Amino acid sequence: MITWKRIGLDNLTFPDVPEYSKDFIDGEVNHPKEIKLYKTKEVFNDYEYHGLGKEFIEYINNNYNSGATLILSRGTKINEPIKIEFTMDDDNPSVVDYNIIVAEEGSEATIIFDYKSDHAVSAFHNGLTKVYAKENSIINIIKIQRLNDSSMNFDSNVAYVEGRGKVNWISIELGSSISGANYTTFLNGEASEGNLSTIYLGDGTRRMDLGYTMIHKGPRSISNIDTKGVLMDQARKVFRGNLDFKKGARLSKGSEEEYVILLDPKVKSDSIPGLFCEEDDVMGNHAASAGQIDNNKLFYLMSRGLSERDAKKLIVESSFRPIINNIPSETLRKEINAEVERRFLNA
Amino acid sequence: MERKKTIIDDVDRGIYDIKNEFTYRYKSEKGLTPEIIMEISKEKNEPKWMTDFRLKSLEIYNSKPIPTWGADLSDLNLDEIITYIRPDADMQNSWDDVPEEIKDTFERLGLPQAERESLAGVGAQYDSEVVYHNIRQELVDQGVIYTDMETALRDYEDIVKEYFMTLVPPSDHKFAALHGAVWSGGSFVYVPEGVNVDIPLQSYFRLNAPGAGQFEHTLIIVEKGSFLHFIEGCSAPKYKVNNLHAGCVELFVKEGSRLRYSTIENWSKNMYNLNTKRCVVDKNGSIEWVSGSFGSKVSMLYPMSILRGEGAKSEFTGITFASKGQYLDTGTKVIHAAPYTTSSVNSKSISKDGGHAFYRGLLKVAPNAHNCKATVSCESLMLDNDSKSDTLPIISLNNDNIDIGHEAKIGRISDEAIFYLMSRGISEEEAKAMIVRGFVEPITKELPLEYAVELNNLINIELEGSIG
Repeated sequence: MITWKRIGLDNLTFPDVPEYSKDFIDGEVNHPKEIKLYKTKEVFNDYEYHGLGKEFIEYINNNYNSGATLILSRGTKINEPIKIEFTMDDDNPSVVDYNIIVAEEGSEATIIFDYKSDHAVSAFHNGLTKVYAKENSIINIIKIQRLNDSSMNFDSNVAYVEGRGKVNWISIELGSSISGANYTTFLNGEASEGNLSTIYLGDGTRRMDLGYTMIHKGPRSISNIDTKGVLMDQARKVFRGNLDFKKGARLSKGSEEEYVILLDPKVKSDSIPGLFCEEDDVMGNHAASAGQIDNNKLFYLMSRGLSERDAKKLIVESSFRPIINNIPSETLRKEINAEVERRFLNA
Repeated sequence: MERKKTIIDDVDRGIYDIKNEFTYRYKSEKGLTPEIIMEISKEKNEPKWMTDFRLKSLEIYNSKPIPTWGADLSDLNLDEIITYIRPDADMQNSWDDVPEEIKDTFERLGLPQAERESLAGVGAQYDSEVVYHNIRQELVDQGVIYTDMETALRDYEDIVKEYFMTLVPPSDHKFAALHGAVWSGGSFVYVPEGVNVDIPLQSYFRLNAPGAGQFEHTLIIVEKGSFLHFIEGCSAPKYKVNNLHAGCVELFVKEGSRLRYSTIENWSKNMYNLNTKRCVVDKNGSIEWVSGSFGSKVSMLYPMSILRGEGAKSEFTGITFASKGQYLDTGTKVIHAAPYTTSSVNSKSISKDGGHAFYRGLLKVAPNAHNCKATVSCESLMLDNDSKSDTLPIISLNNDNIDIGHEAKIGRISDEAIFYLMSRGISEEEAKAMIVRGFVEPITKELPLEYAVELNNLINIELEGSIG
């Protein structure tokens, strides 16, 4: 049984997971033969990574019912994003996915994971995504979580990045009654790079525990965490952002920033930005700020004829926009913007 | 080419490490039993409620585990610590009457001189008891009380009873319970309404006995519209056995009053410094903490401000210097519990020679505390890569009508800054010196003069090659 104090997750036990019978790999894209993309057949635990907790990972290892394995051979570059899409419904209420992405030297790809649900189902998601980015490879992972308000979401993500490799995460957290997301990036090689941009939107009684960690081991490694969030109604969130400079990470640079807009006196927002350092020749920065919408901006927009709600919505959207714009799919961008708008209309 | 590193000297402990022969009038047995507690209480001729309070605290102490979330305390054997040592001296109001050897120690630490030159009152504690206390007559005439806790308990029992360990109850944590059980010595200050104590008062705590614990209690009450600057200094020579310091500081800042509380803790490197400090601030009152942590083997120290009145204010300025064999886990906690409260935290740390500096903080805004503002800024400078430096500030917001900012930086002196200064015609060495001094300057300028001088001596910068 799992209990998280800060966002009030009490005595969670994992449900029995039936088979996930739907197709989740988008088959329409014509992949070159240098790509292998198939349903995950076997799992492997080669590195220590506990994600949201040992129990979560162990459960996935033993019970996964879905997940994709993608292997990009040396030098393969794909322009079209690969889509992995899970839609949970009454027949398929649970997704326990184990995803493996191996990017060989110099390869490049963008993978979009989309988790959504039918409006009626109480969906359960607990997933693990592992990324192995070899020398000079570039991997972009976009994760969109928009399960309905009676669902639960748990997602653990880890990347191991080698010399001059680069992993860019984009995480869009919009749904679920309770959501735990962990992204850990090991910058193992020289000049390896990890970037994480996230937006979260908490409304109603939504609760979120977001943990982002960059572990610098290689010299000259670079990391950047950029988080923008909005909390309204009685939403609660915990943000844990960690920059960890291990010995040997000479001349590395890391920065993290969280900005949260609070729109209701009943929200609860915890931020725990950690900065850990055992190497002197590095630069680490973190900044966190929180507040209401800037009154001057609001006044300006309202003086141009916008209602207060529309003005607030515009300010929130403009804070999200730079991150949403990095999603390489017109359809998805539109859907996400519509979802943000819908939440505001309900508010 | 191997870059030369600037050598920053360790804290010069010369004057602190001189130990006197260990003499005492009364000493408790090692460890902790109800019998020892009752004996301490009897030695001090205390009222029954205090003896009961001590015994109750001992019960709580025995029921609580040693905290494991921070520093490693496994080397600390509480059964080996002597909790009470009465020095071979009576409390005096004149330095001439203090026994020669003890007076010498304080002379070396510069206390009598500081008293003559810049202080309105001085208390000096040696092991478990205060041996010297004095306050200027004009303050006495205005009703200011400044004395040791034992005298306060005897002469101002009602006030002590009303406030004693209400802000840091023994149930708070294991070392608060320990303090409640074996507290001894410390300072009591009461500033009546509308009195402005414009020259600082200072207490100095000196631990001489090997293997002993020091558990002084500081209780300061600043009534409506008053001002006080209180300074505390601490030190102990180094012994081979571990010493323990579990003091407790309780500060009550009433409506519209202001308290400035400065401490430099410079314990020797066999000391576990597990001190608890807390302040509660009423309407429009203000607390200013100035805190320096240099010595000790392990420190866990997080002064807390509870802003419970509208418009209450807290400012924290702190510096931590962790060197070889030291783990200094320090920070500050601020609780915004009323509307229009403001707080600012400015914390700096330097680590070198394998020292480990940890900033652990909490900023909490209660649901009713609307229109509050807070900023937290942490900067860490590492002088080599054997050292460690960590920052973990928790920001917990339960209200939307606020303005909160937090910033932290870690790293070493940037080549760009040096290059910039050199391009303005300043030599490389001078440029680096300017940067290190600039780093600690916001702290030194807040310190009382004699401590600012001490700090500059402590951080003696030899400029050779680059910092880093």
